[in-house]
Amino acid sequence: MLRFILRRLLITIPMVLVVVSVTWGLIRLAPGNFYTGEKPIPPAIEKNIRERYGLDKPWYVQYGRMISNTLHGDFGISLKYQGEPVNRILKNALPVSATIGVLAYLLALAVGIVSGTLAALRQNSNLDYTSMAAAMIGISLPNFVLGPTLVLFLSLTWYVLPPALWGGPRHLILPVITLSGVYMAYIARLARSGMLEVLRSNYIRTARAKGLAERHVLIRHALRGGLLPVVSFSGPALAFLLTGTVVVEKIFALPGLGNYFINANLNRDEPLIIGIVAFISIVVLIFNLMVDIAYGFIDPRVRY
Amino acid sequence: MRRFSTSRIGAAIVASLFALPACTTQAKDSPYFGKVEAPQGQVLRYISGSEPESLDPHVSTGQPEARIYLALFEGLTDYHPVTGQTIPAIAERWEANADNTEFTFYLRHNAKWSNGDAITARDFVWSVRRGLSPALASRSAYLAYYIQGAKEYNEGKARAEDVGVVAVDDYTVRIRLATPVPYLATLVSHQMFKLVPRKAIEAHGDAWTEPQNIVTCGPFKVKVRRPYDRLIVVRDPNYWDAAAVKLDEITFYPVEDQMTQMNLYKAGEVDAVYNHTVPYAWVDEMRHLKDYMDKPENAIEYYMLNTKKAPTNDIRVRRAFNMAIDKNALAVYRRVVKPLTAFTPEGIFPGYPQPTGDAFDPPRAKQLLADAGYRDAAGTYDPSKFPVSEMEISYNTTEANRQTAEFVQAQWKQNLQLTVPIKNIEWKTFLDSRAKLQYKGAARAGWVGDYMDPYTFLDLFSTEFGDNGTGWSPPEFVAMLREANTAHDPAKRYALLARAEAFLLAAQPVIPLYTAATDWLKKPYVKGMYANPLTLHPWKFVYIEHDRSKWDLDDPPASTN
Repeated sequence: MLRFILRRLLITIPMVLVVVSVTWGLIRLAPGNFYTGEKPIPPAIEKNIRERYGLDKPWYVQYGRMISNTLHGDFGISLKYQGEPVNRILKNALPVSATIGVLAYLLALAVGIVSGTLAALRQNSNLDYTSMAAAMIGISLPNFVLGPTLVLFLSLTWYVLPPALWGGPRHLILPVITLSGVYMAYIARLARSGMLEVLRSNYIRTARAKGLAERHVLIRHALRGGLLPVVSFSGPALAFLLTGTVVVEKIFALPGLGNYFINANLNRDEPLIIGIVAFISIVVLIFNLMVDIAYGFIDPRVRY
Repeated sequence: MRRFSTSRIGAAIVASLFALPACTTQAKDSPYFGKVEAPQGQVLRYISGSEPESLDPHVSTGQPEARIYLALFEGLTDYHPVTGQTIPAIAERWEANADNTEFTFYLRHNAKWSNGDAITARDFVWSVRRGLSPALASRSAYLAYYIQGAKEYNEGKARAEDVGVVAVDDYTVRIRLATPVPYLATLVSHQMFKLVPRKAIEAHGDAWTEPQNIVTCGPFKVKVRRPYDRLIVVRDPNYWDAAAVKLDEITFYPVEDQMTQMNLYKAGEVDAVYNHTVPYAWVDEMRHLKDYMDKPENAIEYYMLNTKKAPTNDIRVRRAFNMAIDKNALAVYRRVVKPLTAFTPEGIFPGYPQPTGDAFDPPRAKQLLADAGYRDAAGTYDPSKFPVSEMEISYNTTEANRQTAEFVQAQWKQNLQLTVPIKNIEWKTFLDSRAKLQYKGAARAGWVGDYMDPYTFLDLFSTEFGDNGTGWSPPEFVAMLREANTAHDPAKRYALLARAEAFLLAAQPVIPLYTAATDWLKKPYVKGMYANPLTLHPWKFVYIEHDRSKWDLDDPPASTN
């Protein structure tokens, strides 16, 4: 098990380097520069800018600097937000994205598992139909529809919640609900199908035959197996939720990673793009690893 | 039975959606948009646009930053809150020599930095040199190229001491120019010429704009800065005109999404927004509200034409495509704009004898195309002969640009029987293709004046560096502009500039579309904030009126000293 974890962690490093290298190449391919604007810049000023930011150096020097920065975990200074270290941007933006992401995920998990499990236990009942219909709506309703709809009623008609901005707990409610919608629905469906499958399996029948209380059958035996699909879904989902969600952060004007990321791309802000991409890929790889480890604990059939 | 219950839920959802307009009708009777509740005290919450690139006025070029710099930094002159014309700031008065090549500015003696140090002529000299230094690599440096030695210094070919800005004494600055610049006093309101603190910059380098290091000279100083969240500035008691400053605090929110801006405004979470923020599909609804701020702007929208590539390298083709657009109809369609046939915005520069370009004239447009060789045997215009595959309207991706492009496309189809394809391109990619003249036919362009003078528009085609996206920049035109700038008499100068503009219009490297309009919102309790042509608000004039009876009165004219 330990060797498995170590091996996976070591693979992370070359994988992140590949990801940032490809990203770096793509930025080069995209036309335009961080300093291009509506009015052309005199060549002398362009030369000054390129010298200031080391863009006058040959490509391999620039590439080498980027790789070295990445390996040292210091992504340099943003080109667009002059004087602003990329690491500080990450440090300030991450807690915002993570707060929204984790809360949204917990909400999705709580509502999703409960409603999915109940739906499985009362299959083909009113409860099952209602919750699965709601889940279907949740999956089909993109967050750029759900968010503005919530804002329309709660912020602009009844004036009970702020429509955007980052502030106290009141500012969290709408973005968290908006973000969790799809995940909630998805988890509910996964939990329901997982539970349905498990509830019909032999070992559950055995547990019942042993005379275990239904509560025990459910919590100790069925849930562990039934929630496996939810667990494997959770890794990548949580990684993406943590690292910022472009649409929700845009709609609610939140100072999170997603907002930075989209603007960094539009601005061709290379150090910031590289920093965010490297960070997201590390988080995704680590969460996938955590999912694999979690499998070992939940599913007795998995061995490393 | 089950089916019935689910359909009942569906019915309830649909019913609640229909009930929605009923909930909002009460707002219909109000003369204001959304919630109107003045904040406590003298505090303004303003949406300033994208996240500022930097708090260093020499470094960033954008409007969102310019709005913030007006609170934090001052230059020799400033913008009038109503007209956008020049008013005194750190300079009390100024004078020019006979041919506009030497200006003397007299600084007030009581101007101070936020740390209490006196502001002197030497601070201004140092600031200009710093803005021009090659190491800083300011993108706005070209605005100071008119100063003697400035271009050479910025290009690394001269020393800082060679720049023609000198401190005659502690409170007198003399600026010697390489070419006549009659509008210098308005030019030095630009952020490139704002005063920056030498001591703080020398002590902290690039980190001088950090809240704990920053020293400012405007009516407000930095209190809190949280990127992508907010910037809070508070009244600076050291400011020379502190007694006239009415607001205690301003919060700038960097919100970019248009719907989010409108939501925040409607919910009463912000008190005012910047320009071009009201979605234009809403304008008919919004126009009657007292929040709506609508005035012509120091900005134009136009299409560039590729004068280096067929078929638009033929002046007859360029003129025909211009004449085939009904600009009045476009103005009605775009709702917030005034039609434009010239290249400088209409109704912004008092006394400027603006020329008019070709009027809407489809028969003449067809005749021109026939003359250009697109005709049948009988000599009449034949659209099938026109190489329409060599034409395109390309634009950077926005909803407004798409709608304008579709309108122009429809006009050309209707009036010239040509279906010109339209193509949207991501912003930076678009700029690249335009600068390199890689586009076919027409490319969308907009220009916001750097200062309040027609020259800021005409100068786009005199550019000695790089390209202007059209490939058109004849020496005669550049000479005409230079001649105009040597004229000391403003009326004569305007006449000469108008002549140059007429020359430009006759050559038709562009298709003028419209003069932009301010198109923004403010709550009725925000006073001293006007729809000026720049949408740059000198914040010291702004205040919150808590007396409801005065909300609907016109703002008192700002007193500027």
